[in-house]
Amino acid sequence: MTAIAPSYPSTPQASAPALVLDGITKTYRSKAGGVDALRGVTYHFPRGSFTAVMGPSGSGKSTLLQCAAGLDQPSTGAVVLGGVNLRGLGEVALTKLRREEMGFVFQAYNLLPSLTVFDNVALPLRLTGKRPNRNDVLGVLEQVGLGDKAKRRPAELSGGQQQRVAIARALITRPSVFFADEPTGALDSNSSRQVLALLREATDRAGQTVVMVTHDPVAAAYAERVLFLSDGLIAGHLDRGTPGQIAAAMSDLER
Amino acid sequence: MFQLSRQTVSRHKALYVGSFVALAFGVFMLGLAATATAATIAYRGPLGAVVKVTTLGGQDTPPQRVSIRTGAEDVSGLQTVLSMVGSICGFITIFVIASTFAFAVASRRRELGLLRLIGATPQQIRRMILGEALVVAVVAALTGAFFAHLATPLLLAKASYSELAPVKLEPASPWLPLSIAMAVGLMVALLGAHAAARRAGRIAPIDALREAALEPPRIGPVRVVFGVLFLVGSIALLALIRPSSGEAAMPLAMFTPMLLVIGLTLIAPIVVPVLGRLWAAPLVAWTHVSGRLARSNIVAAPRRSASLAAPILTISAIAGSMVLSLSFAADSEAASLRDTMIAPIVVPGGSAERVAATPGVAVVDAGLPVQFVRISTDYAELESAEGIDPAVATRTRDLTPSKGDLSRLTGNTVAVSKEMAGFERYRVGSKIPVTFLDKTEVKLTVVAIVPDAFGLNPSFLVPADLARKHAPAAQPERLFVLPAAGVDAAELTGRIDGAVSARAWEAAQADGLRKGNEFGLILLLGPAALYSAIAIANTLLMGSLQRRQEFTTSRLLGATPSQLRRMVLWESALVGATALSQGAAITVTVGALVRYAMTAGLSDVPITIPWGVLLGIGGVCLTLAVGSALAPASYILRVVNRETAVHQGQ
Ligand SMILES: Nc1ncnc2c1ncn2[C@@H]1O[C@H](COP(=O)(O)OP(=O)(O)O)[C@@H](O)[C@H]1O
Ligand SMILES: [Mg+2]
Repeated sequence: MTAIAPSYPSTPQASAPALVLDGITKTYRSKAGGVDALRGVTYHFPRGSFTAVMGPSGSGKSTLLQCAAGLDQPSTGAVVLGGVNLRGLGEVALTKLRREEMGFVFQAYNLLPSLTVFDNVALPLRLTGKRPNRNDVLGVLEQVGLGDKAKRRPAELSGGQQQRVAIARALITRPSVFFADEPTGALDSNSSRQVLALLREATDRAGQTVVMVTHDPVAAAYAERVLFLSDGLIAGHLDRGTPGQIAAAMSDLER
Repeated sequence: MFQLSRQTVSRHKALYVGSFVALAFGVFMLGLAATATAATIAYRGPLGAVVKVTTLGGQDTPPQRVSIRTGAEDVSGLQTVLSMVGSICGFITIFVIASTFAFAVASRRRELGLLRLIGATPQQIRRMILGEALVVAVVAALTGAFFAHLATPLLLAKASYSELAPVKLEPASPWLPLSIAMAVGLMVALLGAHAAARRAGRIAPIDALREAALEPPRIGPVRVVFGVLFLVGSIALLALIRPSSGEAAMPLAMFTPMLLVIGLTLIAPIVVPVLGRLWAAPLVAWTHVSGRLARSNIVAAPRRSASLAAPILTISAIAGSMVLSLSFAADSEAASLRDTMIAPIVVPGGSAERVAATPGVAVVDAGLPVQFVRISTDYAELESAEGIDPAVATRTRDLTPSKGDLSRLTGNTVAVSKEMAGFERYRVGSKIPVTFLDKTEVKLTVVAIVPDAFGLNPSFLVPADLARKHAPAAQPERLFVLPAAGVDAAELTGRIDGAVSARAWEAAQADGLRKGNEFGLILLLGPAALYSAIAIANTLLMGSLQRRQEFTTSRLLGATPSQLRRMVLWESALVGATALSQGAAITVTVGALVRYAMTAGLSDVPITIPWGVLLGIGGVCLTLAVGSALAPASYILRVVNRETAVHQGQ
């Protein structure tokens, strides 16, 4: 238990953080009553950091990610991405911000089944109204090891390959923050390694920021910091933990 | 964006083939109605049978020269039918298209959410949906118009020398009518797509992440208000417009159900779950799991269910209302005929002099049929009138005027039926300019307002002398005979050649009326029913073809193919039952209100409910719905079966 700090951590770096969560809470209203998915989360994600978010099922990990990415509005509190407060942004401004500054990778690969791999990757550029540069797209595909699969359709690829296409699609716009929710949840260990290595590379080489939700200690060990979420609150963190240490901390948390 | 549209369209072929078929067929129907109308307009009959008059003109309408066709070469009957067929088909097209597009958007919720997630703005999504709709609509409109052009000569050959158009009709230039049909089709498609696109633009990026592609159940207050307005408005319309004949009831029975359908569709997200739950109650009680699954699929996605139900609701409401209202109209017309008739004996087509000479005959009412062109402010119309001797006619039939005095019916005067007086605001003392077929112009002074009596009194009664003067060749169509005091009516009937009892004559009239109604209904509803059948099959087919993923998952979870088939069976039956119960509610409302209005002042009106036809409409709709959902589902299940077998074998 020594690895888990008693209170939420302060920023390890002094430079302006890539993403700031300031006291966000989220209450889902439903017929059965309200669910407090987040109960006051404050955290600064440093630029170029790779942060894993772990916690028991239902602890609010996905909600945290969705609020951070502006996909959902927190009930209270502020989300500031690259110096821009997301609250008060209109739908179009938010979309443009998402298009330029954020990349998404989810458990379900979320590719458009009717488009080829090439077109899937080029899609975010097309949406901005630019003509995608063929070499850029092929370059990104090369980077994720799929240079030879550009003409295939998603259904003709393995799960790991599809996930790498999704990463390529997120990389193409050179976003400042990656949001990944269980990106390896449906993959075998070999494919998982490739996907995690790509995310790691994004922070190391391009200085991009990665926020990754996972329940797998091995995956979390790719991050330099693991945040533990419990019952809608940050319960602690662990820096540069090994999979064993992370697993031990998790089982403490679940006790 | 366009390339993206093209690729996604090919992915959702079933959805777009569905919209294409619905729209192409709609434009085909509209195109046919338009080209046939053009042919009737282009028709030039013999010159002698035309009366040229000048309308009076009103405050903002200048007087106009119009030619009124008289005589047997009249094609206005066909024109009326065509315009009604056109409006029904147009209406159904709007509905089917709007719901097909809504359905397509609802089915693509996750995909559209994904586009939003990776950076598409709501406006881009809207434009994409509109663009796709436009492509489908243009192709469909051209196809529909092309086939309408091919089919026009066939239709005209069928319509020529028929009861409605006793002449030979030749195809006119197709460009204008077909352009109109295509324009209407494109407009309908874009209107339908516009609503769907707006809803698509509201899909949030987070919808890509939610497992179930469920629509938000919320429904805007504006929509509810408009829905209620449409319902209340059409009921008020029915309560205020009081038709007194089947002919007047026909358009009412056609348009008010359309308004009611619009109203119910607007509040469908509220109504459909309630009805779905209600109908599902027995299913849930009787079946293990399939009924429950079917219920949750219907109730959880009310918009999708309403889209599937739309064609069934539309045709069942319109057809049911027209069938029931016309049957009730015939009931009340029969009752009013019975109540107005005083004479016990009728001689159809007999000679007045000979019958009058028969011993035991006290009075012979030999009304003379006469026609004139009645001139109004902005139109002129050929009217049928009867020349009567008021002293005689008031003894054989009930002509008690509600206003004025029939004894003053001499010279250039006229008595007007209450309904006609109501339409045209004629009062006692009003002057009606008319032109008789001998081209003489006369101003007739209204001297009395008399009760409406279908089949007995036409809308206009003139003095017999006036009729004889302008139509010297006219012969009475039937004679009403009163026996002298002490003479037995039955015995006298036997002694007059061709005489029948008034009861028998009334029954024959009512019978003829029902036959005529039937013919009209087949003409009006036949094309609409055909289109609806295609639309129903099309919509449910489309719905089933979308569900491959769901079936695969369910199969892998252990559902047996027969469980899934039962689920689809119950689901489509629930969609059908939900739609038909709304259709039945509309039918009952319209029928009851039309009947209430028409039977005012009558007693002992018989009730004839055409159960066979009404149940037939319901049965066909239900069979079509279930069949066209089940067939593709079974096919998909077979494919899925093979695939899962392969997976498990690995
Ligand atoms: N759309 C929603 N509506 C209502 N409750 C929700 C919704 N999404 C999540 N929740 C609830 O919020 C809590 C946190 O959910 P989530 O963030 O998905 O947890 P995790 O990803 O950690 O498993 C859970 O109790 C969940 O049931
Ligand atoms: Mg989660």
